[in-house]
Amino acid sequence: MRDDRKYASLSCVDGFAIHSDLIGTTTPNMRDTLLDALSASASADAVSWLRGQISELSENFEKHPFYYAFSGVSRRFNKATTIQSKNDTIGGWDEFRAARVALLLVLAEKDKDTFLESFSAVLNTADIREQIALFSALRWMPHQKDLVESAVDGLRSNIVDIYDSIALDNPFPQEHFTDEAWTQMVLKAIFISRPLHRIHGIEARRNQALAEAISDLAHERWAAGRVITPEAWRSCIGFIDERIAGDIAKMAESENPDDRAAAALVVAEEESGKLESQETTLADELSKIETGDLSWKSLGQEMEDKIIRKSLT
Amino acid sequence: MRFFDSHVHMVSRTTDDYQRMAAAGVAAIIEPSFWQGQPRTEVGTFKDYFNSLIGFERFRASQFGIKHYCTIGLNPKEANNEKLAEAVMELMPLYICKEGVVGIGEIGYDDQSKMEEKYLIRQAEMALEADLPIQIHTPHRDKKKGTIRTMDVLVDVGVSPDKVIIDHNNEETVKEVLDRGFWAAFTIYPHTKLGNERMVDLMLEYGAEKIVVDSAADWGISDPLAVPKTAALMKERGVTIEEIEKVTYHNPLAAYGQSGQVEEADWEDHEGIDATALFEGNTLFRGGQDIDEAMSQYLIE
Repeated sequence: MRDDRKYASLSCVDGFAIHSDLIGTTTPNMRDTLLDALSASASADAVSWLRGQISELSENFEKHPFYYAFSGVSRRFNKATTIQSKNDTIGGWDEFRAARVALLLVLAEKDKDTFLESFSAVLNTADIREQIALFSALRWMPHQKDLVESAVDGLRSNIVDIYDSIALDNPFPQEHFTDEAWTQMVLKAIFISRPLHRIHGIEARRNQALAEAISDLAHERWAAGRVITPEAWRSCIGFIDERIAGDIAKMAESENPDDRAAAALVVAEEESGKLESQETTLADELSKIETGDLSWKSLGQEMEDKIIRKSLT
Repeated sequence: MRFFDSHVHMVSRTTDDYQRMAAAGVAAIIEPSFWQGQPRTEVGTFKDYFNSLIGFERFRASQFGIKHYCTIGLNPKEANNEKLAEAVMELMPLYICKEGVVGIGEIGYDDQSKMEEKYLIRQAEMALEADLPIQIHTPHRDKKKGTIRTMDVLVDVGVSPDKVIIDHNNEETVKEVLDRGFWAAFTIYPHTKLGNERMVDLMLEYGAEKIVVDSAADWGISDPLAVPKTAALMKERGVTIEEIEKVTYHNPLAAYGQSGQVEEADWEDHEGIDATALFEGNTLFRGGQDIDEAMSQYLIE
């Protein structure tokens, strides 16, 4: 039994597309990359307006023109059009997000006080799409330590697209979050069925508290006759105790092939020897891992496809 | 028939109202920033109010298939608190160019004090700077003088009359407003402002050009169905369908469309009611309600 209410909520914010397999990459010319991508999709007038705003604000930054430009993107660009780019991070963004991030890259060049004052003023008054742009831009922003609290707070949103702009395809949480904040972020991702393979650092930031919380959540769900996303168990590798070993054994015997795939991936990576007894049960899945036919990425993408299909029906 | 009610304060209305409005054909609405019945004392309450206009109220309307826009402004009553007014002037530039913000409003005079004039001018200048329409509230007391004074001030600042919607007109103000090239909006509001029989008489005299009909429904005894009800009365009294559509739909769209933030396509291809959508964890949609009873009495006195 899936949590249908949460799946349904995926479609909530007027039709944002979920794009897969984005990898955060930083280039020194991100502003140009964004402008090039926008030039290919948006009207010449809109792009020329944006270039004009960028050059004006670069030379002579003032708050009000920056606010008007950042918000006013909505008057000139199309939110329903997504941009194409060889850069995996920005490919698939809608025009509003791309244009606003280009403007934030101008703000990023200003002195610390100006930057922090305007960034937080805009964030505190932002509508949904503006918040998405602000959080998507975090990775390229200066003074990141001063922005961590805003990102943690943003994750409290129940709007899936805002949550995604921080948690998915974004290196910021991995680099800056405390273990406590990280654990909350991943737990919420599991809770609302987000694709965990798109969280940067999902392996590197594994910790004991998270592994225990995942087991607790699984037991709660099972008690209610529901399931958790099989990707969740990836965060338990390296923290297998008796209870979690029992959970993996349960998954290994599941009728659901996704559960067995996840159990096999955990067994294949776990070095403590505590799961060796599962190897026979999972022989088929383990051989798929060896031949490269099964990985966390392939499982994650499969789960994501299922979520998307569900949200469209 | 579809309607565009360009003045309605939905934060004060119930979900029953939204259901009846949607059922009666109200496709899009504008919610002007307004005072809340008692004075606000902190700028933070303005910020949260503006956030609700671009956030939760817009979402709530969408739950009923209604496209919600707003105007952002400092109303004249609260303009008399100078310290607060200054802080709101600092806040407004963060909002006025946002998606779905179709103008500065509702602004104008209440007591016609000097302080009210100061902030009317400041906000008119802001509208010029951001190239936005202005939604004008005309005073309840000394209305005719206040309306003329408002137009004089706006022209002095350099605002084009074509970008200004003067609201709450009556038989005494309409001629000069139209003669000077402003949009003339009429609020059909029971008991205190204008009943819809008078509105029909006004249309028979002045036609439909640059005339807008709205409800201004708020926290008082008012009617969120005033626009469709007035359209029904106009039809009964022989106003042409083309003229009815003009004053209840096309004219407000043209006037506020100058913001570049509203166009018919926004609701023509919208997805309809999504009963499962969530905003900050809240769902609102409930079962349907009978519209016939609500529309059966369409005379507003």
